[in-house]
Amino acid sequence: MIKGPFPEDLAAEIDRCTQCNFCLAACPVYREDRVESAGARGRIDLVKAALVEGSLPVSARVKELVDRCLSCTNCTQVCPGSLRVDEIVAAARSVLHDTYRFALAERAFLRRLFKQRAQGGGSKTAASLLRGLNLFGGRWPSLANPPFQQRVTPVIRPDGPVRARVAYFVGCGVNYLYPDTGEALVQVLAANGVEVVIPPGLHCCGLPALALGDHAAAAEAVRANAALLSVPDVDAVVTDCTSCGYMLKVKAPALLAMDDPDLPRAAAVSGRIVEATEFLAGLGLAREPRRRNVRVAYHAPCHRHWCDDLVGATVRLLSAVPGTGFVPLREPYRCCGAGGAFFLTHRELSESIRRPRIEDILAAGAEVVVTQCPACRWFLGQGLAGQSGVRVMHPLALLAGSH
Amino acid sequence: MVGEVTVISGLHKDLAALMDRRRVYTGREDLLAYAGDAAPAAGRDGTVLPAAVVVPVDTAEIAAVCRWADRHLAPLVPRGAGTGLSGGATPGPGSIVVDLKRMDRIVEIDRSNLTAVVECGVVTQNLQAAVEAAGLFYPPDPSSLSVSTMGGNVATRAGGPRGVKYGTTKDYVLGLAAVLPDGSLIGYGGKSVKMSSGYDLARLLTGSEGTLAVITGITVRLLALPPERRTILAIFPELDAAAEGVAAVMAQGAGPCALELLDRVLVNCIEDYLRMGLPRDAEALLLIEVDGHPAQVERDVGLIEELCRRYGARSLTVAADAAQAESLWRARRALFPAVSSRAPTVLTEDATVPRSRVPDMVRAIRRIARDNRVEIGVCGHAGDGNLHPAILADRKDPELMERVERTVAEIAREALRLGGTLSGEHGIGTHKASYLEWEFGPRGVELMRRIKKAFDPNGIMNPGKLWIER
Repeated sequence: MIKGPFPEDLAAEIDRCTQCNFCLAACPVYREDRVESAGARGRIDLVKAALVEGSLPVSARVKELVDRCLSCTNCTQVCPGSLRVDEIVAAARSVLHDTYRFALAERAFLRRLFKQRAQGGGSKTAASLLRGLNLFGGRWPSLANPPFQQRVTPVIRPDGPVRARVAYFVGCGVNYLYPDTGEALVQVLAANGVEVVIPPGLHCCGLPALALGDHAAAAEAVRANAALLSVPDVDAVVTDCTSCGYMLKVKAPALLAMDDPDLPRAAAVSGRIVEATEFLAGLGLAREPRRRNVRVAYHAPCHRHWCDDLVGATVRLLSAVPGTGFVPLREPYRCCGAGGAFFLTHRELSESIRRPRIEDILAAGAEVVVTQCPACRWFLGQGLAGQSGVRVMHPLALLAGSH
Repeated sequence: MVGEVTVISGLHKDLAALMDRRRVYTGREDLLAYAGDAAPAAGRDGTVLPAAVVVPVDTAEIAAVCRWADRHLAPLVPRGAGTGLSGGATPGPGSIVVDLKRMDRIVEIDRSNLTAVVECGVVTQNLQAAVEAAGLFYPPDPSSLSVSTMGGNVATRAGGPRGVKYGTTKDYVLGLAAVLPDGSLIGYGGKSVKMSSGYDLARLLTGSEGTLAVITGITVRLLALPPERRTILAIFPELDAAAEGVAAVMAQGAGPCALELLDRVLVNCIEDYLRMGLPRDAEALLLIEVDGHPAQVERDVGLIEELCRRYGARSLTVAADAAQAESLWRARRALFPAVSSRAPTVLTEDATVPRSRVPDMVRAIRRIARDNRVEIGVCGHAGDGNLHPAILADRKDPELMERVERTVAEIAREALRLGGTLSGEHGIGTHKASYLEWEFGPRGVELMRRIKKAFDPNGIMNPGKLWIER
C-alpha cells in the first residue's frame, strides 16, 4: 500500500472536523449525487483513510470522489470550523498526481499556459495548446485576439480630477475570453476619476494550478504577481474576478513558507485586494448614470466570501442606474456548476447542477444576468443560449453602458 | 483505521433487485461516509462499516428493504442527515443503512387546519422557510436545522433554543406514517388536533430512535408566525446569580422564546474565536429572546430587564433592530466552533433538570468538573432546564477519556437525582445506552424491550441503541 506524502498541516485540518455534517446541505455535488460519500465531509474522511492513513486502497472510486469536487468552498462557508476543504482536496489531487501520475496532461498544459501568459503569449498559441492537447472536448469559446493585456496601455488616467489610484490584476478570464469586462472596468473606473495601472506581464493567479494540486506552479505565479502588483501609491489592487481575488487575497500568502523572502510582498498585495465592483461601490459614483431600463438577476459567484459584502455592493452600485431593477432568484446563492474548469471534465454533472439555476433565472424574468466570475458567465451563457435572449455580463459592463 | 466490511453473500444483487442499483452502495469508499454520526465517539475513523447503504425514494422501496432485512435478519439503521450527537445512526457490523434524505417532498401545507405533511427526509429549515412564506410557524429549531431531517428530528425528539416557550418536536407531531420491519405500513393520527383513540403510536414512535419502525411520513401542527421579536443580552458577575435570574424570569411568566446561558469558560472561548468585545471577566452571559404580539413583547422585555437587574446583571443590551439581534446571536452560534477549536474532542452533554433546579445543576457540574480534573464549559437552554455542559476532551488520551467518561456518568446521575432526565433533546443512542436503567429501572427498561419486540420481533431495527443488548 502506497502512502502519499500528504501534508501534515492539512491532515491536522481533517482531524479538526467534528463530523457535524453541516456541509452536506451546501455541497452542490451532494445535491446531485445524493450519497454522503460525495459530500465534503465524506470526501475528506476518504482522503484521510486513503491518503493519510493508507487504510483504504487508492481505487478508481477514490479518485472519482476526490475529483468530483467543484472547489466551490460552499462547504467551508457553512463549516462551523471553516475547514479548508478545497485545500484538502487540492492536496489529495496533488498526491494522486505525484504518486499515481494522474492528470499529468492537464498539469503540463497549465504550466505551458502560465509561461505563455507571462511571456506575453497570444491567444492563438493558447488556443492551439488547448486544441492540440484535446483535453477538454466540447464547446470551446473563440479566444480574444490579441489578448486584453496587449490592447491596453499600462496606465489609464481619468479625464477629470483623480479621486483614487488602483492597480488592476487582469485575470486569464478577461485576458483570453472576456476582454469586454476589462474594457468596461477601465472605462467605468476612469469615468469615475480612478487612475488604473495595469502592470505588464501579469501571470495567471495560480488558482487553476492549485485546484489540480500543482503547488509549485501556483507558488511561482504568486511570487511573480506579488512583485508585479507591488505598485507604489495605489489605494487598492482590484480584480474583476472573484476566483482570482480569492487566490490573491486568501490563498497566495498562505502558499508561501513563513521564511519565504517573497512572503511580505505577497502579504502586502493580499491586504490591498478588492473586487472592482465593491471598490467602486465603496468609492461612490462620481455622477449619476444614464437611465437603462433592464431587469437584472445577480448570480453571486461561490468564491465571494473573501469580499466584505459583494452582494450588497453589487446591488447598491447597479441600483444607482435609473430604470435598472433586480429580480430576485428563488435560491440567490446557488452554484451554477462551472467550478472554474470543472465543467470541462465533468460535463454531465455540471450541467445537472446548472439546470435548476437556469430555470430560476428564466422564471424570474431577467433580461441580463450579472456575475463577477468569468467561468460562471461562460457556463451560464451556454445554458441560456438558444432558449432566451438573456445575456450574461460583469456588473461593471452593465454600468459601462450607462456612462 | 478503516475496518473491513462484513461480507454478506449476494447482498448487492439482492438489494439491487429492490431498487435502482445506482442507489445501492457496497464499496468501502462509500460506506465509510456512513460509519458514524456527529457523536464524538461514534464510528470515528470508520472502524465499523455497514455492509450496505441504500437510498430509497419511496415507501414501497423502504418496505421492500425492510422485508428483505427481516427475512435475512440483517440489522437496519435508518439515517437522516447523520447530525445526531448520541450515536443513534451508528451502524453495527453487517447492517444496512437506509439513507432517507431522498424522501424529501413537502406534501402539503394546510393553512385552514394549520398543519403540514412532509416526507421524512425534508430538511427542517426547508419546512420552516416554506411555512413562514405562508405566514405560519414551525418552532422546533435544533442547531443542525440547516441540514437535519424531519424524520431524524422526530426519531430523536429534537429540541432547540425555542423549546423553552414552544416545546420540542414531540409537541408538534400530530400523525405519523411508518414501515414496520415486516414491510407492512402503519399510520396513526393526522390533521385532527384532538385525538383520544387507541394507544398513541405517533408519540411512541416519536423518540424511538429507529428501533421500532422506519418513520416515512409526518404530519405536524403549525402556529401563526409571531409578528414581533426582541433580543436581550445580560452580563452577570456571578454564575449562581445568573442561574437564579433564569429561574426568576421563568417563574414570573415573562415567557421568553429563548433563554440561553453561557459561563465564563465559554464566553472566553467565543471571544478568542470572534473577538467581538465580550467581557472576558463575565462569570455568565444570558441571551434572552421574546416574541409575540408587540404590546406583549414590550411588557416582557421590561419585566426581564427588571429581573436581570434585581439578580445583579451588570450590563443589559436590548437589540434595537434585527441586525443587532443577529449580532448578539452570533456569539451563541459561534459556540460550537469556538469550543471545538479549544480541544481535539468536545462532548456536548444533554442533562436536563426541572427549570427550578438549574442553579443546583450548574453548581453540581462545576463540582464534578473539579473532582474529575476536566474542563467543562457550562451552557445550555437554561430556561427549560436543558443544559449542555461542554466537556473538553481528547480521544487520543485514554487516561483523560476515562475521567471524561466518569464525568459524563456523574452528570447523568446528578440530573436524575434532581428529578431530571438523561437527555433533553439529543437522545440516548449508544452514548447513554448503559445508563437507561438508572432512569427507568430494570422493569421500566424491560417493558420497553417488550414493546420493541411487539414491533420488531426479529430485532433488526437499529440494534444496540437505547439500551445495551443482552
